[in-house]
Amino acid sequence: MATDRTRRRTWTLSIAVLATVLVLYFTTGVSTGLRAGANIVITPFSWAVNAVARPIGHLLAGTVNYSDVVEQNQKLRYQLGLAEERANEAWAYARQLQQLTTGLDVPFVGSLPTVSAQVITLSPTNFAATVGISKGRDSGILVGMPVVADGGLVGRVIATTPSGATVRLISDTASSVGVTFKSGKTSIVVSGRGLNSGLDSTGVPLGTSIVPGTKLSTDGLNGGLYPAGLPVATVKTVTLTPGAATYNLTLQPAADLRHLAYLDVVLWEPPG
Amino acid sequence: MRRALLPVTVVTLIVVAVQLSIFSSLRFAGVVVMIVWLWPLAMGLAGLTTLALWCAIVAGVFFDTHATTPFGLTALVAVVLAYGASRLGREGVGDLDSAAWWVTPLLAAAAGFIAPVLFVGGSFLTFNFSLWRDGLVAAMVVNAVAFFVLARPMTRLARWVGHAGGAR
Repeated sequence: MATDRTRRRTWTLSIAVLATVLVLYFTTGVSTGLRAGANIVITPFSWAVNAVARPIGHLLAGTVNYSDVVEQNQKLRYQLGLAEERANEAWAYARQLQQLTTGLDVPFVGSLPTVSAQVITLSPTNFAATVGISKGRDSGILVGMPVVADGGLVGRVIATTPSGATVRLISDTASSVGVTFKSGKTSIVVSGRGLNSGLDSTGVPLGTSIVPGTKLSTDGLNGGLYPAGLPVATVKTVTLTPGAATYNLTLQPAADLRHLAYLDVVLWEPPG
Repeated sequence: MRRALLPVTVVTLIVVAVQLSIFSSLRFAGVVVMIVWLWPLAMGLAGLTTLALWCAIVAGVFFDTHATTPFGLTALVAVVLAYGASRLGREGVGDLDSAAWWVTPLLAAAAGFIAPVLFVGGSFLTFNFSLWRDGLVAAMVVNAVAFFVLARPMTRLARWVGHAGGAR
């Protein structure tokens, strides 16, 4: 008898859970509220675990990776020197270009203000390529703004809090970016394949003169999600399946999406 | 059971915090080990059906608040794993004391192997057809191995916490 009751209770509970989950799928308002509430509950636990785990993790990582850290530091110093040199050279060109694009009324990222932020969290799951950053609405960051780093487009802001934001990387499977190359006459769509797999593009017309090494940048088409001219990726391979009428491309992202530490949010909102 | 609910809830929240703070950054071959799935599974293998389902819901929902994947999907997979494991746990399969040492880890490994598939399959319910593209096989293998390694200590912890209130 007791077993029957337990079984009934289990079934009832399971059905209730499934019903709740299904309802949540279709009522984003409720889910947003639940997310915010659950965040408040989990924060003290995360804080406590972090307080204990982080120093231990840093100690272990520092001990094991000390020589790597020294090597990385030297490399970074060298790169910083090169970057400063290039920045000085680029300043004059950037000014000229800005004058030209202002005259043509074309948005250019060099003329747009940016907010620098630190990457503080990685995606907690295997099935989303996102990062959490250290600045949010209080710094003027809004949903939809593009994010750049390390020489290229990184992604766009998909959620904000007063002091933080979530950025969906262009390698996320839900991400797609309109890009162009060379003369800018052909636009193609670049899709994410996941954090570990990079980017690809399918359905590229056969007449397109695209070869490995071609650099792709955002097309900035009217109503697009990104301003024109942001470097996105370089073509790695061009393949043609026998019988197919289009090329498939595998792409190397312009920015190193797997080792992001700092990035810039471009204070630009998609039109409309 | 009611007396165990509070400690189980607290431990579940700690598990979620550990997942978010440690396991989500500590990637193996680029894969996150999902202890938020292992915890309810272990509770189920300990034969604590109701508590296992409760853990699954709490761990899944709280984890989902931090992920950009469809809300509730992690919870759904956790509920399925917890329920399946608790059926086995009730029959004494995977019992830490009476079964062979490898039975619990093997069951957990099997669950770790199929959990990402359940997740991707579940995402189709939300009309999201792109999640399978992101290293599904790697996620299956890494989670299976990690679940195999962590199953016994986790099940022991589950049994200890679950029986704190004399739960069955």
